[in-house]
Amino acid sequence: MARIKSRDASALSELYDHYNRLLFGLILSILKKRVEAEDILQEVFTNIWEKAEQFDLERGTVYTWIVSLTRNKSIDRLRSKVYKEQKKQSTSLNDDDVFMPLYSEDSDPLENTILKDRAKRVHQALANISESQRMVLQVAYFNGMTQSEISEEFDIPLGTVKTRMRDGMMKLREILSKDLEL
Amino acid sequence: MNTNKNTFEELCTGFVLNALSEDEERQFRSMLEQASDEQLTFFEEMKAIASEIAVLSSSETPSPAVKERLMDTVAASKKPAPTRQMTWYRFAAAASVIFILMSIGLFFYSQNLTDQVESQSEVIADQQTTIERLESEVERKEELLTILEARDVDLVIMDGMADMSPNGYGKVVWDKVGGRALLQVANIPSVPIDKDYQLWFIVNGQPISAGVFAVDDPAKDNFFKIEQLQSSAAEGAFAITMEPKGGMPQPTGDMYLLGNM
Repeated sequence: MARIKSRDASALSELYDHYNRLLFGLILSILKKRVEAEDILQEVFTNIWEKAEQFDLERGTVYTWIVSLTRNKSIDRLRSKVYKEQKKQSTSLNDDDVFMPLYSEDSDPLENTILKDRAKRVHQALANISESQRMVLQVAYFNGMTQSEISEEFDIPLGTVKTRMRDGMMKLREILSKDLEL
Repeated sequence: MNTNKNTFEELCTGFVLNALSEDEERQFRSMLEQASDEQLTFFEEMKAIASEIAVLSSSETPSPAVKERLMDTVAASKKPAPTRQMTWYRFAAAASVIFILMSIGLFFYSQNLTDQVESQSEVIADQQTTIERLESEVERKEELLTILEARDVDLVIMDGMADMSPNGYGKVVWDKVGGRALLQVANIPSVPIDKDYQLWFIVNGQPISAGVFAVDDPAKDNFFKIEQLQSSAAEGAFAITMEPKGGMPQPTGDMYLLGNM
């Protein structure tokens, strides 16, 4: 990140090579459309280049900053009026264009060894929380649904959704804190 | 207190998962501004946990065009326009100064060359004049020499007249066969602009004009070639008088030199 701050374009290229597939998969899971996802992916890395100065290592890792940036941009696009209208038309006109991946349950979803190990640990952590907690976290995270939308979609009281989400995250923190040095 | 803690934790987890409504999001941001260190730590930890879930995303490969566009954008952003403009202006200014200096230098160099060419031209002209004068002199000497080379010549010595040119000296080398003569004079006064010396051949008491000449340097010997001096007379005399410019049919002026054959 220090190299990117010093305007080293090759450092950004390396960062892109390291994370582009993971982040593109994340964006795709939220937006469901490749063209939109590629647009957001480019926007994310452009933001990293332009706002590298804002990154503060004391407030989190580079990975956390990049993923948060990626999710925020994806969710913003998902909830924009223009995107909702485009999605409605696209879905009705051409269903082949609609990409609907959910998060991967495969044991080998990633090529990167380090990320692969981390995925395995997160899988195990999720396996250790309740099914109801896991479900709200998954649809919120990978489908970009709000607590209200989850409540409405799955006919669960809003308060229950909030409680399950908080308890699920607290449990994950408890399980993963050792690995993440929290 | 516990309710507040639960509310913060619920909003925090919803916030890091982008699952809050807009009102709730504003509420949480407001709480975050007055959050305790413990709450801020909790917030950072929740962000880390949420981002960790991303590793479960399917690995999907975007089009290579994405990276190409990204790197193009980055390359373009690395060229700060103002600096480039500044560089251009500096370059232009430097080029202008160099151009002006070179122009001034070339101007003076050109002037210097022109002066040198003019100076050399003057020298060449002077030398050309000298050459022409020397060539004329040589030609004249050669003509005089042809008279001296004649095998049969009469030599007539003229003396200066006591009242006009007591130290005057004259000599006529006459090639009667060729009808030409060489006149040598010295120590006679320079002639005024409106006058000439005139050489007379006097035979049987009658003066015959043999030509006019002028002397501008009395101190040195002056030589003249006399054309068309033909006579078979065995006796006679030569005399030099000063006459009006161009000469006269008969002598009218003072006599300066006289000598008998």
